[in-house]
Amino acid sequence: MAINTKENKAAGGSFITTGTVLSLLALLALASVPSVVSSPYTLHLMILLFLSTIMGQSWNLIGGYTGQYSVGHAAYFGAGAYTTMILLQHFQIAPWYGALAGMGVALVVGLVVGSICFRLRGPYFVLASIAVAEILRLSAMNLKEITNGAEGILATDLPPFSIGGTVITDFSTKVPFYYIGLGLVVLTVVVTVAVQHSKLGYYFQAIREDQDAAHSLGINLSLYKNLALGLSAVLTSLAGSFYAIYVGFVDPPTVLGLDISVQIVLICIIGGIGTIYGPVVGSLVLVPLSEGLRSNLIASAIFETGIVSESSPVGNFLKENLAHAHALIYGILVVVVILFMPDGVLGFAKKLVSKRKGGRA
Amino acid sequence: MLVFSQSLISGLLIGGVYALIGIGLTIIFGVMRIINFAHGDIMMIGMYLTYNLFTLAGIDPFVSVAITIPIMFLFGALLQKVFINRVLNALPQNQILLTIGLGLIMSNTMMLIFTSDYQILTTSYSSSSFRLFHISISQPLAISFVITAGITALLYWFFMKTDTGQAIRATAQDRDAAQLMGINVKRMSIIAFGLGSSLAGTAGALISPTYYIFPQIGSTFTLKAFVITVLGGMGSILGATLGGILIGVAESMGAVYISSGWKDVVVFVLFLLVLVFKPSGLLGKSRA
Amino acid sequence: MKKRFVALGLALLMAAPVAAFGASVKIGVINSITGPEAPIGENLTNGIKMAQEDLKKKGVNVDLVWEDDTGKPQIAMSAMEKLATRDNVAGVVGPYTSACSNAVAKLAQRYKVPVLIPAAAKEEITRQGYMWVFRMNAPADVYASVLIDAALTAGKPKTIAFIYENTDFGTSTSQSAKAYAQKKGIAIVADESYSKGSPDYRSTLTKIKAKKPDLVFMVSYVADAILLMRQAHEIGLKPQAFLGGGAGFTTVQFAKEKQISNYVLSSTQWTEDVSWPGAHDFGKRYKAKFGKEPTYHAACAYESMMIMAETAAKNAGNREKTRAGLKAGKWNGIMGEVKFADYAGFTNQNNHQMLVEQIQNGVYETVYPKKWATRKLIYPFPGFK
Repeated sequence: MAINTKENKAAGGSFITTGTVLSLLALLALASVPSVVSSPYTLHLMILLFLSTIMGQSWNLIGGYTGQYSVGHAAYFGAGAYTTMILLQHFQIAPWYGALAGMGVALVVGLVVGSICFRLRGPYFVLASIAVAEILRLSAMNLKEITNGAEGILATDLPPFSIGGTVITDFSTKVPFYYIGLGLVVLTVVVTVAVQHSKLGYYFQAIREDQDAAHSLGINLSLYKNLALGLSAVLTSLAGSFYAIYVGFVDPPTVLGLDISVQIVLICIIGGIGTIYGPVVGSLVLVPLSEGLRSNLIASAIFETGIVSESSPVGNFLKENLAHAHALIYGILVVVVILFMPDGVLGFAKKLVSKRKGGRA
Repeated sequence: MLVFSQSLISGLLIGGVYALIGIGLTIIFGVMRIINFAHGDIMMIGMYLTYNLFTLAGIDPFVSVAITIPIMFLFGALLQKVFINRVLNALPQNQILLTIGLGLIMSNTMMLIFTSDYQILTTSYSSSSFRLFHISISQPLAISFVITAGITALLYWFFMKTDTGQAIRATAQDRDAAQLMGINVKRMSIIAFGLGSSLAGTAGALISPTYYIFPQIGSTFTLKAFVITVLGGMGSILGATLGGILIGVAESMGAVYISSGWKDVVVFVLFLLVLVFKPSGLLGKSRA
Repeated sequence: MKKRFVALGLALLMAAPVAAFGASVKIGVINSITGPEAPIGENLTNGIKMAQEDLKKKGVNVDLVWEDDTGKPQIAMSAMEKLATRDNVAGVVGPYTSACSNAVAKLAQRYKVPVLIPAAAKEEITRQGYMWVFRMNAPADVYASVLIDAALTAGKPKTIAFIYENTDFGTSTSQSAKAYAQKKGIAIVADESYSKGSPDYRSTLTKIKAKKPDLVFMVSYVADAILLMRQAHEIGLKPQAFLGGGAGFTTVQFAKEKQISNYVLSSTQWTEDVSWPGAHDFGKRYKAKFGKEPTYHAACAYESMMIMAETAAKNAGNREKTRAGLKAGKWNGIMGEVKFADYAGFTNQNNHQMLVEQIQNGVYETVYPKKWATRKLIYPFPGFK
């Protein structure tokens, strides 16, 4: 049996001290960002970055560590988003309770999915997970009384968050969202680290490497697969709830669509699957890239450096087409990563570093 | 009664086109064990090809199929040679994502070339129909159904009777054994992906006179193709034919007797049931 | 490593230049340039490009900051955040879809940036009392009422069947249509929604045919309109009138399909032959420039940009003054008379007169209301050729 020993050694050895220190430093730096940066646009991008990291990290538990490639995580994302919004709009229940309820709903959905899909392996599992998410999307479309159908649910303003009568925040700025997002990132990372260092993580990875061997070692496949999925579903639903209260609008295609499921998987694959930093790196690549292309910031930056003049034909072409082409470049990036960096950007970087070190020694 | 038979007939006719899409996917899956998420996008390319042959060169869509088939075959073979062959032994999720990436590239390239406008291909017979016992039958769909049937028969002959066909089947059954027996597995994969793509492209061509075209049209058909192939049994050509027709009829009947909104749910529930209780599909041999 | 990435990202964000022309005014545009809504978004883009040229002729230099929302609300938010806080635009025109407009409206209110929404239909957008949000087009309920009114002045329909796509636009338009039909005493005999992009509507249409409705009301965004009519023709559906609620029924592509589109009635925000000042000329120049006919989206976007840019230029890009200027102003251009008023629960909503057009021999003719009509409405539907 080939448990990924490199990973274990890295996690258990010196990595933990330097890694932890670095992470804490990064966290400290991130926590102080809102007091330094006042631009809401930058904060917004950071929030998108957090959201993407949470989504990727949650998927990583089932896809990366346990090796069950769900392409239907929109189901849990949407479950969280819809539950929160329905409770908020129909029953005036504050979103933090809504998010808890959403976790419950996602867990139930996850268990149902597990009971159906875990009988299947490989491509069949992938297809089944897509089907379940599609059923949920179509149901949300049709259950108009509850979900408002295709029209979606629009949130009126959020109730202020208060403890014991003192108002902590009224959500009038981005700062509370920033900290909620950061908090959720920390939560998902901590959960992942905890899992990785526990027996649970060992079982998960055993299942990933070889299901039959894991089974013959006495690992209860169905139990641990469902555990991994449940954990992943609950965390993904938190991302969904966070999205819903932040954007203030949900409808079936934006929170339950196949795009979301694919997006979630891409974050991990591009960053590096089954590693703690993978989803972080994936988000750091994808979010700035798509925003930079979309808003023409990259084109402007090229003009700024003076390589291409804005008024030249090439410049004009870039300005006209770069923004249009962002989805194309996205696609090319995916293909390049898969073909040339099968372990993701992080794995590729590690390999480069170790090569250089090897050369020196 | 009239409503029933009308929906049955139109379901059958549309099912013919679905079958072609499904067969293409099933061949690719059978040989490579890769779920091709770009299948609908390949079909979209076939549609644009047909559209441009019609508008620029004035070639009737049903005639231009003769041009579309070889071009799409080469296109698919190229995709296999340049991209897919490199990931044959990679993790399944990487294979899936590669095809998703290729699909994104295809649809967005078409968008940059042809803009995202909806294109409609109007032939003199686009909305013609003839009547059979009070049931109206769409003329273009009837023609494409006949062509589909012909192609399916030809394929069946190819796989059963020719050496290449048998070699592809051997590769699909057991890649390693086929390799040991001296079959050029990489070459068979290229042929298989080419065949799959040309079938998807042909489906696109055949549906063009009664449908419309835009760069993002692929995903709808990709999902449909998955359902069809699973229903019929991954890798089974007859199964995919049956699956396509079954889905066509189910959609058509579902729209009348359930509701247009819920019919797709029914399709996916059916899909899940087959996956769980008979994962080898209705006609597939079970595989461990 | 993580910090380095963040630093890199931040550096990238701050690297872009801020153009500083003397007399130009900076306006943001949020539109669906890519993504599933891009086919219609392109019309808005074209309309705005034409507005930019015309503004230049008028001596107003507009520096446009284009933002693609890819049809997703959270991306539209990114765009709005950027425009409001980084690009410091005087005002924003867009977005196209209702979902995106909703998300942007909230931010407009927060950052106090005037936003003029050119063509999103959802009623709620201007019903939340947002003083910074303006809308050019008439909301979803008018799409339905104007069509039914037209049918009622021309004949005496008793029953109506609905077939519409299950999107926000489709469901909300047909929702208000159903309510309006009931109010007018027309019985609803069929109510069918479909998911857009399916190639076969024959069975649904056969089911509708069996109910023998006097009116068939269809809402479809795009090319499905052509499919629906082709297949209605195939199965021989023949009501007193086909009513098309906006969008897909108002495209030139649709009109060109003479065999199936003749005599179909559709509601629209704008027609080329309407006697609003400059409408005809706009249509001609648009065709010359882009090689295709303008849709009402293009006209809405054009006029929105004209109004926003001129108002902002007059007020030297001051947001508060621009808002006040929009609120107080009155225009008469290709969209007819425009005034952003508060009425019936709406805030800053242009009480736009929607038109009903009918395809007669492959050409859209304005047939209702009488005041703007260029041809007589042909009723009942004489049948397919």
